[in-house]
Formats: sequence, structure tokens, C-alpha cells
Amino acid sequence: MARRAAAIADLPGFAAVAGAAFVVLYLPIATLAVYSFNAGDSIALWQGFSLRWYEAAWANTAVQDATIRSLVVASLAALISTVVATAAALGTTRTRAYRGQTGVYMLINQPLMVPEIVTAVALMIFFATIKKATGYMGLGYLVLAHSAFCIPFAYLPIRARLEGMDLMLETAAADLYADRWQTFRRVTLPLLAPGIAAGAMLAFVISLDDVIITEFVKSAGQDTLPTYMLGQMRRQLTPEVNAISTALLALTVVLLTAFFLLNRKRG
Amino acid sequence: MRKLLLATAMALVAAQMAQAEGELQLFNWGNYTSPELLAKFEAETGIKVTVTDYDSNDTALAKIEAGGHGFDLVVPSANYIPIFRDKGLIAELDLSRLANHGNIAPEWQDVDWDPGRKFSVPWQWGSTGIAVNTSVYKGDVNTSSVFLEVPEELKGKINVVPEMNDIVNLAIFYVGGDACTEDTEVLKKARDVLLAAKPDWIAMDYGATERLSNNDWAASVNWNGSTMRARLANPDVVYGYPKEGYPLFMDSVAILSDAKNVDEAYKFIDFIMVPENAAMISAFARYANGIAGSDAFMPEDMKTAPEVVTPEEHKAAGRFLPTCSARAQEYLTAIWTELQK
Repeated sequence: MARRAAAIADLPGFAAVAGAAFVVLYLPIATLAVYSFNAGDSIALWQGFSLRWYEAAWANTAVQDATIRSLVVASLAALISTVVATAAALGTTRTRAYRGQTGVYMLINQPLMVPEIVTAVALMIFFATIKKATGYMGLGYLVLAHSAFCIPFAYLPIRARLEGMDLMLETAAADLYADRWQTFRRVTLPLLAPGIAAGAMLAFVISLDDVIITEFVKSAGQDTLPTYMLGQMRRQLTPEVNAISTALLALTVVLLTAFFLLNRKRG
Repeated sequence: MRKLLLATAMALVAAQMAQAEGELQLFNWGNYTSPELLAKFEAETGIKVTVTDYDSNDTALAKIEAGGHGFDLVVPSANYIPIFRDKGLIAELDLSRLANHGNIAPEWQDVDWDPGRKFSVPWQWGSTGIAVNTSVYKGDVNTSSVFLEVPEELKGKINVVPEMNDIVNLAIFYVGGDACTEDTEVLKKARDVLLAAKPDWIAMDYGATERLSNNDWAASVNWNGSTMRARLANPDVVYGYPKEGYPLFMDSVAILSDAKNVDEAYKFIDFIMVPENAAMISAFARYANGIAGSDAFMPEDMKTAPEVVTPEEHKAAGRFLPTCSARAQEYLTAIWTELQK
């Protein structure tokens, strides 16, 4: 495997193609970040450096409310989905093979395979029924919906970590008369912690970025940052949107870097 | 003095009562609601308005039809008002509660999509026309031939916004048909004109404000408010009103049938029909508002803008797009699909 990878890297033009791919991927984002510092009103006409759009975004109460709402929903969704995903990962790796295991695996990863718009419309109709019956229209629906589609994202790193862990350690703990809970608490969980943290952060970022499901599930007064920005697109775009995007991007980069560092530690 | 004290006390009590008055949930297009307008409304009535955004009529319709949304007011486009009404999603207005209903400008009082304005009041309106950079093209801009039989100077430099209803209907008007026509001869002509012109377009994309401002594009089928902003950045840009016919649009506010804050909703729509307040809406989103007498309160650069104040000679060619029959809609979509290939 390592040899094959090396052979690809040795092919002539590898560096050029890889470089071009990175430019294509990141140049638009770089442009977006640059224009967030534009002094003028335009997102395409450079008129000098200024932080005015960051100030404008900071002072905009709609942006503030949406940001706080996004962070609250993402934190709760990350928490719930990680707990569920950890249990699911244990249930699919630390058990004897059972009938329907593939089926369970597919069910857990269903949000990765079903187009988001399908889930969104289905959730909208389903939740609307509950909203009408109960009269409750709070953030709970958004948290639930986000938790659901974040589960596979939290599940995959946790499961990968569990599969890579040395089973001998857990067997040894059992040999030394640790009961199942003690084994889990003292052996499995500490070893699994980086995977759980990685899963939680991935879930947080995925929830923070979500547009389509949020757009369909949100009730009155529940715009998150991405749906707020979607609303801006249709009218006039100002560098304020760039400033918000850049700030959001910075947050995502920080989390992904942390995810990468945690994952690297596992070796 | 005692009178003054009494008046102050009463005003205070009134203000406090207003404080307790509650909230209102407005479901509107994103970036379309002036924050100053909401602040003023809250100061006057004590009602706190929360705005939630949507980005298309269809999204708004889908969410409201599903129910359990919590919204009180919605702002659909003209051709969606009959859909909302016929599905029973918006409530008939009790005009006796709207003292300012008479402020609606005469031409917007009795519109096709809402005769007598019994279901909706104007928010903003505008038109789809053609923005042209006059340093590139000096010919007549008030004709759809600018994009349908592209003049030599503009070949490969003109953009067309990807809005099916606007574009296909502009072509139908150009060949002498009516919006939502089911006449296949007319539709064929419209399709042929569009397909023949397409190779001369540089793009079918949004973002005309920016790209006209920085000379990326020399012309574009575009909306009037966007063209005004482009002109303020680039004085060579002018807005043409195609004489063969051009689409008008208007978004209007309606109260939802399942609104919870009905009293507050009435107060709000009465409030936005005050000329001064309507002008605040326009000052923010840069489109005209449909309230008589609001011109006096408009920002200076909008009072005289030829994009916002339609010149008298071009008024007659503006047409509202009705809600098409399913069949006409199928034809429109078929032409549009072919054009996208």
C-alpha cells in the first residue's frame, strides 16, 4: 500500500497537478476572506483595507442571535449524537456478530446516503404534525434533527478507533476480575477518548454548517447563521457576508486542526 | 401644568401598556426588512418583531402549508398570493382595522392577484429590465432585442439572470405573446429566439450588481434595484425598460390564517402603510413601495433614480406575471430546460 502511494507521488507532474488542485480548491475561499476586509460596499471591487464589515457583523443583532443559536444547537447536537454514536459503536464492535448487523450499520449511516433534501422535507412534515399537536415550537426540534444527522459523523471515528484498539487489554482487565463496567470505565473509555473527542468535534462542525435541514425544520425566530446567510444571498451581497463566512471558517479550521491533532496522537 | 402632568402620566401608562403588548413573527425574504423600521415600530407600539428569513416563495409556501411554523405574517410575490389565498393559508383582512389602507397608491389598490387588496398590502415592487454599460453600447436600450438579437458590440459580453419566469416571458413578450400563453406557435417563436441568442451571452448567472460595477459584464438582464446600485458604482450603467413588454414584481404582506398575534399583525401592516414608514422599507432594500406620498420621505438618491421612478413613457409596457396554469407552466419549464442544455 505504502509502495503504491509512493509510486503515484513519483509520477511526472504529480506536484503540478496536486498544486493546481489545491489552488482550485482554496483560491475562492482565499478571495472570500480577502474581500471580507474590503473598505467598499462591493464583494468584487477592492477599495482598500478596513475592518468595517467585521464591526458591522459584530453589531448586527440578527447576526448575533443567529450565531448564538447556531452554537447552542451545535453544542447540544454534538453532545447527544456523540453519546448515541459511542453506544452504537460499542454495540457494533464489542459484540459477537449477530444477524442484521449490516442492517444496523446501514441504519446508523442512513443520513450519509439519503439526500439531505429528502430528510429535510420528511422532518418538516413530521415535526409540523408534532408542533401542531403539542403547541411546542422551541429549539428542541432543531437539536433533535441535527443530532440525528450528526450521528454517523460522530460514529465513524469512534468505531474506527474501537476497531484499531488492542482487544487484549480489555481481555486482560476481565481476567483480573474487573466487571464489564469497570473494564469500560478504566480501560476502554480512556483509550477511546481521542476518538470520542474527534467524533464530537466533527459532529459540531457538521451541525454548525447545516443549511437545508435547518431551513425546513426551523420555526419562527430560529434562523441559524447559515440560514441567515442564505437569506442574504438573494438580495444584495455585501462583504458583511464575507466577514461572517471568514469568522465561521476560522472556527471550523480551528476545530478541524484539533480533530487532526487528536487523531494523530492515536498512533 | 396640571394638564401637562396628566398628559405625561397618561403617555407613561400608555407606553407601559404598550410595553406589555407582546411580539410578532414576520416571515420575510432575507435582507429585505429594515432594522430601523422594526425599532421604530417597537418604540411606538411596544411590539417586538422577530424576522425569520426565506429565500424562495416555494420554501415559504412549503413551510406554511406544513403548519406548526409559528409565523404571523408572510411576504409572498404577486403570483404566489392567489396560491396562498386559494389554499386558505392567508386570512381575509378586516379593512375596518386598517386606517391607512387608503394610502395604497391607486395603481396598487385593485390588482389582478388581489382585487380590492382584501388579502395583502404592498411591501416593495420592481421590474426586470436590461442594464447596459453605455460606454460599450450606445444604441437603444429600451428593447429586449439587446439580449434576444444581441448587437455586435455586446456579443459575448451580456449576461442573462437565470430566472425562468422573467426570461421566458420577456421572450414571449418580444414575439408578441402574453404571459402564461398556451399558444404553441408563440411559444415556438419565443423558444427559437432564445436558442438563437444564447451563443451570444457570456453567462446565465446572478451577481449583476457586482459584475456591472467592475466592468466584467457590459450588459445584463437585471432587476431595477440592483441596476441602481450598479449605476451608483459605475455611472456608465443605464437601465432599459423593454418596450415589447417587461415583467413587474411585487411582494405583499399578508396575515396567516393560523397567526397567533393577530392584533399585532394588524398594527404592523397598518404601520407600514404610513408613507414615512414605507419609505424606510425602500431606503433599506432599494425598491419602490407602493404607498402614495412616500416619495417625499425617500432618500435623495432614490427620489430621482430612473430605475426606481419608472419614466412615464415606459410605464405602459410593464406587466405583472399572473399565476400560470399548470399547462402553461409546463411549456415554460420545457423551454427553460432546452435553454439550459
